[in-house]
Amino acid sequence: MISVLATLAALPFGPTVRADDDAQPVIRFHDGGFEPDELVVKAKTPFRLHVVNLTKDPIEFESFERNRECVVLPGARIVVYHPALDPGSCKYFDDFHHDAGQGTITAK
Amino acid sequence: MRRKALVALACIFAAAQAIRFEHTNPPVAGDLAAPPAVERALRQACYDCHSNETRWPWSANLAPFSWLVHYDVTEGRKRLNFSSWDAYVSDPGTRIQKLRNLQKAMTEDDMPPWYYRLLHPDSKLSESQHDVIVQWLAGEITSTQSSQ
Repeated sequence: MISVLATLAALPFGPTVRADDDAQPVIRFHDGGFEPDELVVKAKTPFRLHVVNLTKDPIEFESFERNRECVVLPGARIVVYHPALDPGSCKYFDDFHHDAGQGTITAK
Repeated sequence: MRRKALVALACIFAAAQAIRFEHTNPPVAGDLAAPPAVERALRQACYDCHSNETRWPWSANLAPFSWLVHYDVTEGRKRLNFSSWDAYVSDPGTRIQKLRNLQKAMTEDDMPPWYYRLLHPDSKLSESQHDVIVQWLAGEITSTQSSQ
């Protein structure tokens, strides 16, 4: 019952995912773009972000605001280290496919 | 007719001066730590666009050249900023990617852009400066890869 209520409560907020305290959040890149669109992490806490490329082409995970840039080969998974973030949001995108849209990491 | 065109051109040039961009040099957060010879060469050829220590040229005050300078510095800092090197180093994947990008730029000789070299002949690296950077990059890439 609790899980059903939790699921219903999460529905209006769309594809936002919250990282747990000890979790290593995952962003997946597929043909439609990044999933989730918005990743919520805990502010002031370092974390390791896993980026998985589910497409047949290499991608370049990049965030100018966070000074991050990593190539992810097809089918590969990489880990991107992030220092503790101040509350706020930063954008990331695939620098090899600009039409694939972008995602947001929000620290709360 | 020719006079009218010249007057129109002068008006456009004068109006263009109204579009100005601020010349900022934000604080250096964590500069690149490299051997002195490498650092000197990178400062000479790259730091004007790829650091927070830009030496703003006279053209940065005269439109439309100032627009190009502003674009180059803004984009350059986004792509690779030696003043934020510490931030890159905190993620091994990013560090190695930045080093590889530098290596590619050195190998293909596509940086600095031709128009920048034209206006700043001192940005051209000598063969020995080129070699010292290439050697340093190779060592950094190898050590980063082995520590991953």
